[in-house]
Amino acid sequence: MATALVQVRDLYKSFTRGTERIDVLRNLTLDVGRAEFLALMGPSGSGKTTLLNLIAGLDQPTEGSITVGENHISEMSESELARWRTRHVGFIFQFYYLLPVLTAYENVELPLLLLPLTKEQRRKQVNTALDLVGLSNRMDHRPGQLSGGQQQRVGIARAMVTDPELIVADEPTGDLDTKSADEILMLMEVLRAQLGKTIIMVTHDPKAAARAQRTLHLEKGQLVRDTAVLV
Amino acid sequence: MYDALPPEFVGAIPADTSMLRLSFYLLAGLVAVNGLAIVLGLVTLPVFFIVLYVLELGLKVGAATGFTAFKVAMLMLRGLRRAPLRTALTYLALFVLTFVLCFIYAILTLVDNKLSDKDSNFKAIMTEKFSIPSMMKRSYPDRIAELAMSMDEGKRPVKGRSDVMSWSFFFGTTDPKNKRPENAVFMFGLDPLRVIDIDKDGKYFSMLDDDLVQGLTSEQRDQLYAACKAIEDDPRKIVLSKARLDSLGVEVGQEIKVYSPAMYKDIEFTFIIADVLPPGKYDGLGFMNNRYLFQQLDSYEGATTVTDSATLARKPKAAGVKHPLAEKCVNLVWIRLPNKAALAQLAELAEKEFSSPTVKLETESAGIGSFMESFKDLFKLMRYVIAPAMIAMMSLIVANAIGISVRERRTELAVLKVLGFQPWHVMALVLGEALLIGFLGGGISASLAYFQLQQVKFQIAFLGEFKVPAMALVYGPLLGMIVSFAGSIGPALTARNVKVSEVFARVA
Repeated sequence: MATALVQVRDLYKSFTRGTERIDVLRNLTLDVGRAEFLALMGPSGSGKTTLLNLIAGLDQPTEGSITVGENHISEMSESELARWRTRHVGFIFQFYYLLPVLTAYENVELPLLLLPLTKEQRRKQVNTALDLVGLSNRMDHRPGQLSGGQQQRVGIARAMVTDPELIVADEPTGDLDTKSADEILMLMEVLRAQLGKTIIMVTHDPKAAARAQRTLHLEKGQLVRDTAVLV
Repeated sequence: MYDALPPEFVGAIPADTSMLRLSFYLLAGLVAVNGLAIVLGLVTLPVFFIVLYVLELGLKVGAATGFTAFKVAMLMLRGLRRAPLRTALTYLALFVLTFVLCFIYAILTLVDNKLSDKDSNFKAIMTEKFSIPSMMKRSYPDRIAELAMSMDEGKRPVKGRSDVMSWSFFFGTTDPKNKRPENAVFMFGLDPLRVIDIDKDGKYFSMLDDDLVQGLTSEQRDQLYAACKAIEDDPRKIVLSKARLDSLGVEVGQEIKVYSPAMYKDIEFTFIIADVLPPGKYDGLGFMNNRYLFQQLDSYEGATTVTDSATLARKPKAAGVKHPLAEKCVNLVWIRLPNKAALAQLAELAEKEFSSPTVKLETESAGIGSFMESFKDLFKLMRYVIAPAMIAMMSLIVANAIGISVRERRTELAVLKVLGFQPWHVMALVLGEALLIGFLGGGISASLAYFQLQQVKFQIAFLGEFKVPAMALVYGPLLGMIVSFAGSIGPALTARNVKVSEVFARVA
């Protein structure tokens, strides 16, 4: 791996429940290369979503460091992380989490409102993103008027509208039927292959994981297996 | 306490129910105003949603210009539209609060105005010093006028005798055998031209009520003046409010017989209704010429038979016996004075002049203050207990509604944070929604209270016209926003502190 976009070093994450300390991640070190599609697998409670949240800057590690590109995100404040996320990370959720009161266009535009862009620049970026996911003809629809697969595609458009280098996805196909899931995974492969996005995806589904270039298996907060798939 | 009393006294002491009654009236009043506010709030709900819709349309146009602020504001508006029932209930709570507080504010402002002293051109009030109700001799008004005019140039009443007015209260009924509120008659006996008169410049003025002339249209002024002139020319004539005329079931021009068993016992008064008072002015009251009252009291002295006020039967009476109230028929005397020095000097002169009964001369505000002494606690209760309690209660309602909204939208707020919204953005979004409802709820409520109550027009006794001050239009929206802020700051902070990783951990 010539240039790693994500570098995780000696990572610990623990939570305290009452007087009990729960170690979710223990001494974890890994690199994720640029334009790599990585799947994180493991049983429930193995720490894969926690790892994803830490890499995406949604939480802070107890110990260790995380670097994404040039940014040492484990040293950033909450406000700095929020600003960083807007520009550098796109999120895809299992349940899409689109705002029901906004149209598809407005949902995709949401992260752009935080950036110093003109109306024209915003429109161009939103149209490009919706075009890419094949929903230009549905931009005025509200989430309630779209199917699950379409909603997830809007979610993907929203994740990539700011042109981030890293996209994190937490069970992106977990709520979809096989056909829609296949379309979404295909789309993610396109994002990696054609746009050079680095994708980290948490999944329970071996078929989904098989679409990734590399799969990391976690158990009890530690990496137990690193499986590379030859593409 | 009763154990310490001799047995024959126990049971003879009547229970004091005044506080109980006062509490009941206050409670009934509050319930009535709240009920009215709820009805008006429900009626204006569509207006509220239309305003929201129009605002959204406006923001849509604004958003087309590309300004991010418009987009964020639109996000707030759509947030309100998401749960219409909860938004409506929050609006209703804020509407009711503002409406009721507008009422309380109007009453307190009215009282404060009446109790605040003016330094010049103010009315002084002369009453009996040691007796309530005050009952003075009928010579007192003329004598105090003479004393006032005997003072130095700068201290005399500017309009001379026109600046002196006496009041004789008259309580009566048209049917003494069946006394009911509907047939009751309450009037002020006075010189009718003190109600409204024309000065040497040809302008209307009123000694009775400083706000009267301004509050009437030119036709109403002309009509009232004509009525007062008619009463001046024929002392048997009276003018009554529309409400009283309706209640008595009589019309203008009709003659009525009125008896006053509680005051002017055994005197029969025959009044002719000259005209009706302007709408909203002195509702329930009327004005009579005090000359007629004095004439009837004089006639009583020479009469050998009188009409019994209770049974309406004729009965004999010894000639030459004066009526008990013959020399106790002036209750208040008002004098407009140019300055405080004039008041001090006239008070001194009055104290020396009038000995049986003795009198006191004080500013109108002090006089009204003495009259309202017994209501002091009620006003304190309104100002320091009811108003803050309502604000606290409504803040809790708003807090509850916004709190539910934030709990329901925890995931959505977390998503906003994930997308890069700063914690204060999320907090501002929640606060913004609440402040918007507060502004609209308070604004619509205060506007309705201000503009509609001006139309209703009613008078609280002689305190003047009850109206919601124009400042309510500023305080209403402000109050709505303050209460919304107080109620939503907790939920907004919760929203601000939403931990993204925890929210998604729970969802997953």
